[in-house]
Amino acid sequence: MTSTVAVVDYGMGNLKSVSQAVIKAAEGSGVKVVITQKAEDVFAADRIVLPGQGAIRDCMRELRGSGMLEAVLDAAREKPMLGVCVGMQMLLDHSEEQDTPGLGLIPGTVRRFQLEGRVQGDGSRFKVPQMGWNRVRQELAHPLWTGIPDDSWFYFVHSFYAAPSEARHSAGTTEYGERFTSAVARDNIFATQFHPEKSADLGLALYRNFLHWMP
Amino acid sequence: MLLIPAIDLKDGHCVRLEQGDMSVSTSFGDDPAVMARRWLDAGARRLHLVDLNGAFAGKPVNESAVKAIIKELGNEIPIQLGGGIRDLDTIERYLDDGISYIIIGTAAVKSPGFLKDACTAFGGHIIVGLDAKDGKVATDGWSKLTGHEVVDLALKFQDYGVEGVIYTDIGRDGMLTGINIDATVKLAQALTIPVFASGGLAGIADIEKLCAVEDEGVEGVICGRSIYTGALDFTLAQSRADELLAG
Repeated sequence: MTSTVAVVDYGMGNLKSVSQAVIKAAEGSGVKVVITQKAEDVFAADRIVLPGQGAIRDCMRELRGSGMLEAVLDAAREKPMLGVCVGMQMLLDHSEEQDTPGLGLIPGTVRRFQLEGRVQGDGSRFKVPQMGWNRVRQELAHPLWTGIPDDSWFYFVHSFYAAPSEARHSAGTTEYGERFTSAVARDNIFATQFHPEKSADLGLALYRNFLHWMP
Repeated sequence: MLLIPAIDLKDGHCVRLEQGDMSVSTSFGDDPAVMARRWLDAGARRLHLVDLNGAFAGKPVNESAVKAIIKELGNEIPIQLGGGIRDLDTIERYLDDGISYIIIGTAAVKSPGFLKDACTAFGGHIIVGLDAKDGKVATDGWSKLTGHEVVDLALKFQDYGVEGVIYTDIGRDGMLTGINIDATVKLAQALTIPVFASGGLAGIADIEKLCAVEDEGVEGVICGRSIYTGALDFTLAQSRADELLAG
């Protein structure tokens, strides 16, 4: 039986780059990729990818308004699910950004970088959002890290980051003024603050790992 | 979406031209270093410099102003520079001085061999500036229109290993009539390297439209006249772009 992955299109964000990466990762795997605006496709899929960019309040509103919320919550119960960027931030209880409630799937909050006036090692000022490549330290062994060396470089574009209240949900951390959680994991859910779809081969490896993940 | 303030240097001053015409220039400041600091303080993450006299002369002319800007900004943000760069020695000197990206325009079209050599010698530091009107490439400070299709040339340059393409619609530059979004997206879709939009940026609506197509590979926009006249508040515009695109 063919397995299906649904990329959730609720009208917000990096859909094209995520879709392209998932399609590429799925080549030759037998996994069917569906990029969809229909909740029934998400209900029917075996695993889902939840992208997201921009303001979390807008993303939450569109997720509800598009009728995708129920399907995403349904997937979160038992299907392998991969969140990216704001698609990760929405998984937590709450975000400091415009005081926005999240989906409450991972205990904790989403915080903003407080780096005003701080200076980096090379003498330049820290900039928010963090835009560019940075290292991800793997905080726990996880099937999605398979074949990806510890401290690998991934691509980030963000001002906010997840602060899970339980350390066991932090799958990866990154140093930017402070050490923050850059990947979260809980049971059948994995999510990254960085953009695997903009992280070249190792990002593709992560998507590939996700397509074969049997939590 | 990277908003990149442009400082065009003419006779040591910061000017804006209309549609590349050297005789129709407006001066916006006589101290390029002060201008560079102003954009850094406004939140710029990259700076775009053009040696206008250099572009017309075919060799660097405003080098002292460029050095003053590098000195002022230190290593705070990367600087890209174009205008009259036609040989490898000039590229090497500018990179040594602290310029991060060299923009090759006319020379890329007229002597593709030079561009290829530049990419081989200074990989990762070469950006191509393609100026076009109705899909056709222009050269020599826009005074000559060639028969080359933008997309075809850009694909060839991508193969050489250029880091990105700045696409300028010369029918619009300095006119505040709005970015040519469709042509920019068409180019970005054809390429895998980043495309930077340029020419005609009018206001915040353009920024929002560009953010909507960022995922196609439009990674930034050159901000010229609009941020000097106040049609666009640079700081607010960059914040708006971050709000739309960052997590």
